[in-house]
Amino acid sequence: MNTVASPATSAEPRAGARALHLWIALLAAGLALGLGAWVYQLMHGLAATNMRNPMMWGLYITLFMYFVGLSAGGLIVASAGRLFGATRLKPIVRIAVLEATVAVMIAALLLLPDIGRPDRVWHLLRYAHVTSPLIWDLTIVTIYFAISASYVWVYTRADLARRGSPLALGTGTSLVDARRDERLKGLLAAVGLPAAILLHSITAWIFGLQISRGFWYSALMAPMFIVSALVSGTGLMILLALIVRRTGRVSFKDDLAAYLGGMLAVFVAVEGFLVFSEVLTAAYPGASFEADPVRRLLTGPYAGFFWFEVVVGLVVPFVLLAPRRLRANVRWVAVASALTVVGILIHRVNIVLNGLSYATVPYPPGVSIGTVQPLGTTSFALSYFYHPSAIEYLVAGGVICFGALVFTIAALKLPLKEGGSDLAADAVSRRDRLAS
Amino acid sequence: MSDKVSPVEALPPASREWGEIGPASGNPRWGMVVDQERCIGCWSCCVICKSENDVPLGMWWNRIDTVGDALDTPRRVQGELEMHWLPLACQHCENPSCTKVCPVQATYSREDGVVMQDSQRCIGCRFCLVACPYGVRVFNWGKPDRPTDFDTGMVAPRPIGTMEKCTFCVHRLADGQIPSCVWSCPAQARIFGDLNDPDSRVSRLIRERGGEQLLEERGTDPRVFYLPPRRKRGLET
Repeated sequence: MNTVASPATSAEPRAGARALHLWIALLAAGLALGLGAWVYQLMHGLAATNMRNPMMWGLYITLFMYFVGLSAGGLIVASAGRLFGATRLKPIVRIAVLEATVAVMIAALLLLPDIGRPDRVWHLLRYAHVTSPLIWDLTIVTIYFAISASYVWVYTRADLARRGSPLALGTGTSLVDARRDERLKGLLAAVGLPAAILLHSITAWIFGLQISRGFWYSALMAPMFIVSALVSGTGLMILLALIVRRTGRVSFKDDLAAYLGGMLAVFVAVEGFLVFSEVLTAAYPGASFEADPVRRLLTGPYAGFFWFEVVVGLVVPFVLLAPRRLRANVRWVAVASALTVVGILIHRVNIVLNGLSYATVPYPPGVSIGTVQPLGTTSFALSYFYHPSAIEYLVAGGVICFGALVFTIAALKLPLKEGGSDLAADAVSRRDRLAS
Repeated sequence: MSDKVSPVEALPPASREWGEIGPASGNPRWGMVVDQERCIGCWSCCVICKSENDVPLGMWWNRIDTVGDALDTPRRVQGELEMHWLPLACQHCENPSCTKVCPVQATYSREDGVVMQDSQRCIGCRFCLVACPYGVRVFNWGKPDRPTDFDTGMVAPRPIGTMEKCTFCVHRLADGQIPSCVWSCPAQARIFGDLNDPDSRVSRLIRERGGEQLLEERGTDPRVFYLPPRRKRGLET
């Protein structure tokens, strides 16, 4: 096997190149729109969003926890593959860790438009308050980003060095370098897995530690976040791997998709179990603190979201993935993965909406809305119907476009294909080069 | 915060005399008693709060909930109609859930127990608003909307993108004056004083009338106590 670096796929079909250019142009346009919308929001304050006192967190926080969850697939697959010897995951490890890096970056960036005073973000360092779960989360997000970025580097470093890229940071392609890679991979796997578990737990504790919200105050929050992160992270990873495979930048056999699909089925089943257990525990005693939010969840104005989550996000993917015959077909695996990715997004929406959208002291007139309301209406609300404003969609879309842009460019520039960094192959290729 | 903009001498002598906190222990823990039997749901305290603290339009630090399902509407209890109100502002908890979650310590408990908000430090993440079980914090969502084109309050207005809330009128406490909601209540339903002094009027009322804390089971331990109405006024249905 000749694995000497070839200048990556220069002979791409023209139609593919045009599609790629169109894709990049679209993302750039989305980013520009998002930046414009953010400037508008900075000028008008958070009044430009549809968030108000009775519904103080909205799309930005929902997407923050969603993207934190999406980052799970990467690191857990990479670390678990290493620690528990799941070697068949190897062809997609690079794309998985790249996905994790970008997802956690998007999550962190989404917090910036959410805060009322972005000019004071430095206060988070200057006056950091250790009892705040937000401080814990920012710490672990930073650590997690560093770990995933290091992962990407360690896995692509050898190939970068072979290309003579400055991104190799001056490291070479010798056996010593390869050995150090292996040591670093082991080390990263050992810290990466606990960091991933912590990341999802701490993000859950932002919500799960609040005695004010009956729907959130549950010890099941952290386990549920870990599992829902596994569901959406694995789902997105399968999708991205299949998409990037079509461009020829990674290669793996269909049975890997089936294998991942089987894993996803298990995650979906556990997620379904946790959601059921949570809802049953809250509803059974019938005490209003916990049962009222559950009643709203099942029959309230947002109930459609919950039933969508259950049917489209859990039942259908499980039916598609559980039978061996169905998940042998890549197409069904792709459909199921897409459904889980959407289903977990709706799961996040349900957590925020049902946790926040009602007054905790249930007497009229309710909570002060916070901005002047039209004549003839009240400036208080017992429950508040929230839907994101156009500005919120544009800003969040801009952040996501930026992330997708980073991912696309990284996927184009970095050596994603496995094979070059293999130790044995490495040695062989070096011997060949020396002989010639 | 609460940079005072007007000296206590600017108040008329009668106002100052009526507003005196009176004797307190050397180490006061300020608290409030709200007598639900006396409250008539007139919203005077809410309105004076807005002018005292220059709270912009659409925002309220203080509100009057009606116990039941509809505003100013009686509810049926054991076949009889009854109606009472729940004046609601910051509960100045002994164990506040808002101060714990603040990532920059912009909200904190003072030595005398008053829960404060530092508008110059607040980054506007609204975690405290999520964490508060009473829904009494208000955020400056946009540019403040005011009925006048000048500031009306006794304290400096707060900047856009930050949180604000009831301060027990700390600027008045500094001069030994009771909060203006207590000062203004026409039914004298609000009583202010030192919870550390067992002989203060608040301590006695809480003891004798069985003062209750709102959402006591959450363990936030508010320093605002409600005196439940003792008699049911039976209205014929």
